[in-house]
Amino acid sequence: MKIKKILQALDAISFGYKSAFLLFIIMGGMISIIFLSQVSIYTIKNDYDLLFEKRTKSIIRLENIKDTYIVNINETLNDMQKNIINLQQSAEVITLARQLIEKNWSNYNKIISSEEYQISWLNAMIKKIFIMNGEKPNIILQQSIIKNIEKKQKRITRLLNEIFNPYTQVKDLSFYMEEMNYEINSLSIYITSLTNYDLNMAIQEKRDTNKIFDLLSLILNISIVLVFLFSALLSAFIISNFKKLHFTLQGDVLEKTEALQKLNDTLEIKIKKEVENSRKKDTLMFQQARLASMGEMIANIAHQWRQPLGSMMMIIQGVQSKMELGKLTPEIINSKVIDALLLAENMSDTLENFQNFFKPTKEKESFSLKSVIKHSLTLSKYILEQRKIKVSIKISDTIKLHTYYNELSHVFLNIIANAEDALGSIEGEKFIEIIAKEVNQKIFIYIIDNGGGIKKDILPHIFEPYFTTKYKSNGTGLGLYMSQQIIEKHMQGIIRCKNVCYTINNNKFEHCALFTIILPMKESTDDK
Amino acid sequence: MINRNIHILHNFNILYLEDDVELLKQTKDVLDDFMQEVFAVSSIKEAMKVLENEHIDVILSDILLKDENGIDFLKSLKESTYIDIPTVFITAHTETSYLLEAIKLKVENYIVKPINLKELLNTIHDIVLPINQHKEAQKSNNLIKIISEVTDGKQVEVIKYIMLHLDESNEIHTSYSEIMSHIDISKPTLVKLFKKLSEKNILINTSHKVYKFHQDSLDNL
Repeated sequence: MKIKKILQALDAISFGYKSAFLLFIIMGGMISIIFLSQVSIYTIKNDYDLLFEKRTKSIIRLENIKDTYIVNINETLNDMQKNIINLQQSAEVITLARQLIEKNWSNYNKIISSEEYQISWLNAMIKKIFIMNGEKPNIILQQSIIKNIEKKQKRITRLLNEIFNPYTQVKDLSFYMEEMNYEINSLSIYITSLTNYDLNMAIQEKRDTNKIFDLLSLILNISIVLVFLFSALLSAFIISNFKKLHFTLQGDVLEKTEALQKLNDTLEIKIKKEVENSRKKDTLMFQQARLASMGEMIANIAHQWRQPLGSMMMIIQGVQSKMELGKLTPEIINSKVIDALLLAENMSDTLENFQNFFKPTKEKESFSLKSVIKHSLTLSKYILEQRKIKVSIKISDTIKLHTYYNELSHVFLNIIANAEDALGSIEGEKFIEIIAKEVNQKIFIYIIDNGGGIKKDILPHIFEPYFTTKYKSNGTGLGLYMSQQIIEKHMQGIIRCKNVCYTINNNKFEHCALFTIILPMKESTDDK
Repeated sequence: MINRNIHILHNFNILYLEDDVELLKQTKDVLDDFMQEVFAVSSIKEAMKVLENEHIDVILSDILLKDENGIDFLKSLKESTYIDIPTVFITAHTETSYLLEAIKLKVENYIVKPINLKELLNTIHDIVLPINQHKEAQKSNNLIKIISEVTDGKQVEVIKYIMLHLDESNEIHTSYSEIMSHIDISKPTLVKLFKKLSEKNILINTSHKVYKFHQDSLDNL
């Protein structure tokens, strides 16, 4: 249970943390191993060197002492006895020798008790911890030997003093000499045993160091193996974790991809539907726009017919009235008939114009720009006259188009109608100018009116469907939208609008609206 | 069919204001046969000129003129005190606002286009009739005055008195003495007068002190 919990907790740790942890462990292990090995090597070497020095130095001192005693003192005494050298000389030598001995002895003592030559604390600890072959250095032995040596030294010194005492008799001298020999020999034996002791100690310490070395190397190897195993285990664990994670993630990704794919498919279907819908809406809007403009047309027809009808009725009633009064003459009848027929023709023309307007043209025809513009103007003649709007056309007869006649006429009619409405509310001179130019296989048509221009905040919206500034029932907001659709989609042209200042006949008009229509001369799909 | 005496129109002038030139022409042509003079104009300016220079009895006006408004025109006319001519609106528009304003301006009638000739003539007739009658009455008065100046004024006074005191059944209850008390006339003259009137069947003594006046005898004169 606990293990499970631990494992779960471990799983829960994030990927980054896990890998960092692993790395940390491995690095730590490596570093500690290196550190350990380095330390152990150095301490062992250190110890080895020191001990070696300590022991060898002490042995050298002891040997020196021994030599001094034997050679310097004993030999000198013998030589003195044999009268090879005289008393004074030997005394000098012996004093020198004694000094040497003093010095060496004190050095030796210094060395053996020096703290300098203690083994390192690490090794001491290891020895303590691992309870090495508990051969304590037999210090007591050493001490006793040293004591003996010192005793002997004292005796030798006394003897020397006796020997060099001028008051010594000759017979005692040889006795003293023999004693001296004996003492020096035993001293040298003691020194030798001390030396042996030191050598043994050295061997002992070497063994110890070996053991320590073995131990340390064992520890090192074990720890290397442990670290290796541990990191291998941990990495295996983490890698398996990674694998699991990878597989789960892969699984997730696949799931998500599938889901996304499905979504994509459904979206595609949705989009198709929406596009169809939007197309339907477009055609609906177009139809609405047509109906709206039809409504406008009918209103126009009604307007245009009202007056001729009124006049015709008056003519007819007039004929009756004149007959009742007896004033009816053939001349009067003729003139009235002429008047009436003229009016009727007018009405018929109006009908024809509008009829043609609404015939759906599925074919493109060639016609001159001037004719289509004039046609549109005829259709709005009534309002133009009523509002006293001056229309001037500056178009060359040679500009020809090959496109849908009625639709283009529709566009012009719409723009002219808008201009009429704008001009209805201004004072003073009212004009509409239509200018066309041919530039670079393109026809530029400019329609300018001085109806005050279009307000800045409205200007970007005028081509939007259902956008109108007229009161509810007077505007559908579809006129310019339709015009734009016709020009851009059916004729591959461009329609734009902006406010300008315009000068006619040296009169400057500040607020004019300019509609620009750019049509290609020949559309690329032409096969001529 | 004309059921009114359209002939009275012959004595009157009409100002016709309409901006549709064709209609103006045709209507003037027809009205010329009935009115004394038809002044056909197509703008308020011209109309004002005509009003200043001519005697107009009726104004016929369209409401929506080019750049102008017939109602405003009438308003400005009504405000100037010396012009108070009866007006008829002829128009194609029947918006309530126009109607209300027209009523406030007390137009005589409001005709909707297309114009029905009979209706128009009847309307004009109804407008001019009072004027005509006024004129006739004026003429009669003048006649009486002149006659009374030229002839025996007292006899005229007696006749006036009788005419004044007729009741609804054209009878007068009076006596010679009553008349004589009001008018300074000698009895023989009075009796002679009554006799003459009785001979002509104009004033007949139906019963004691009651005399009946026969209108129709006058008509047969």
